[in-house]
Amino acid sequence: MQSNSIATAYAPPFKIVAKYFIAAIIDFVILNFLLMLNYKDITGFYFQAKILAITHLLTLGWISMTIFGAMFQLVPVVLETKLFSEKLADIQFWIFILGVIGLATGFWNFDTGLHLNASAILLNIAILIFAINMIGTFIYVKKWNITGWYLIAAVIYLTITAVAGFLLTYNLWHPYISINHLQYLKLHAEVAVIGWVTMVVMGVSYKLIPMFTLSHGYSMKSSKWAFWLVNIGLVGINTFFHFENNMIEILVSSLFIAAGIAFFLFQVYLIYKNRLRKKRDIGIKYSVFSFYMLAIVTLFGLVFSFIDLSGIPNIYLIFGYLVFFGYLSMLIVGQMYKIVPFLAWYHKYSSKVGLEPVPMLKDMFNEKYALASYYLMTTAIITTTVSFIINSQIALLFSFGLMFLGSLIFAFNITAILRK
Amino acid sequence: MISEEKILELLKGVIDPEIGLDIVSLGLVYKVEVNEDSINVTMTLTTPGCPMHGSITEWVNNILLKAEPDKNINVNLVWEPQWTPELMTDEAKEKLGM
Repeated sequence: MQSNSIATAYAPPFKIVAKYFIAAIIDFVILNFLLMLNYKDITGFYFQAKILAITHLLTLGWISMTIFGAMFQLVPVVLETKLFSEKLADIQFWIFILGVIGLATGFWNFDTGLHLNASAILLNIAILIFAINMIGTFIYVKKWNITGWYLIAAVIYLTITAVAGFLLTYNLWHPYISINHLQYLKLHAEVAVIGWVTMVVMGVSYKLIPMFTLSHGYSMKSSKWAFWLVNIGLVGINTFFHFENNMIEILVSSLFIAAGIAFFLFQVYLIYKNRLRKKRDIGIKYSVFSFYMLAIVTLFGLVFSFIDLSGIPNIYLIFGYLVFFGYLSMLIVGQMYKIVPFLAWYHKYSSKVGLEPVPMLKDMFNEKYALASYYLMTTAIITTTVSFIINSQIALLFSFGLMFLGSLIFAFNITAILRK
Repeated sequence: MISEEKILELLKGVIDPEIGLDIVSLGLVYKVEVNEDSINVTMTLTTPGCPMHGSITEWVNNILLKAEPDKNINVNLVWEPQWTPELMTDEAKEKLGM
């Protein structure tokens, strides 16, 4: 039985994972509310107080918080070992939350002194604790697999992202970086999204997608190509962004990364093509949408590194929105619709299987509501993009409203599952 | 003595909560043996290295122990022959949309 393999004797208590997921979902609802409330400020260039604040609520509070929770659950299961320390996972949680609130409010008021810098240090401490917890877990692994390699790389890139983030906030306080601040910011952002987040997405997808779709009999060669290509590209990014006049080197690195992502998408396609479960449930619908988005933003990003598009209004916002909402948020929502019901079910009913009637996973939440939030969110992604292109504030307000509504339904559904 | 058919019937109570199919229809149960004092079940999982051995054997164990509290229950997990989708019943295949 494959679906059971996301929980095991190795996994940490449900409480820890649930705490991370709940915090992430609350953050997601809040940031969507903030977008709706401040739609007039979401325009133009990205380096603005409120946009920086909301971006970090997205990347740290929503995306990274979810990944931490998911990794505490999945790393022990996938690598057949115990989590090094549940206590550290708990301590990290509170320091990280403080850091996120501090950083977001610091950016919001553009208080680039002690407030922002202390928050960045808190985040670095939390991430260091996470890294220690992961390394402590990794060293006891007896049997490595491809997912494990992706996760090691991801933890390394997360650490680089955090340190680079702190150096950037320090530079806003006491400028010392000799190259352009925004160039260094690009390094921070690319290592974060590709090195940390996408590396986890890729590694975990190789495990979860076959499990959820009951896929069988496919080659895993592409997953290895993807690993090396993306990593070579990332090493390039990490090197060449420290220098000026680096156009060619950055282009080559970007090509490596794009090729790696193409191999990943091909691997996902192979798994999906060989699936035994033909019916697409809500989690898979979200995920499929997300993978199409990943293809689009990869192409978009590649064009971005070849051609200067900065003359087009809101182009950075469109790109960022499609990455964070189209690709990442849709994937997280979809995967949560798969993982949370299972964890809650396992927590509550596993010991009762065979002894009394237990519900099926699809009975754990209302799929109709989930489908409604799917249509709200996909529509919001399209209309937000259009609103940015036509530069219409009213349309933007409407679009952010749709996403906010979608996030509320999602939060409601997950709460219902956890209460069941 | 309880029959092997009856045991298979009981094992249909072990349902994969995700796909809603039981281990017998999925073709995961390879052999059932009933002796004087024990019941031996030889079964597999769809993927080698599935770290959930513990829970699944526990489920099978629980369900058989409830029916036959006086017997020793042995659940033997094997990877040879490897499970293939062809081992599923037609009904199961249909339910998956194959």
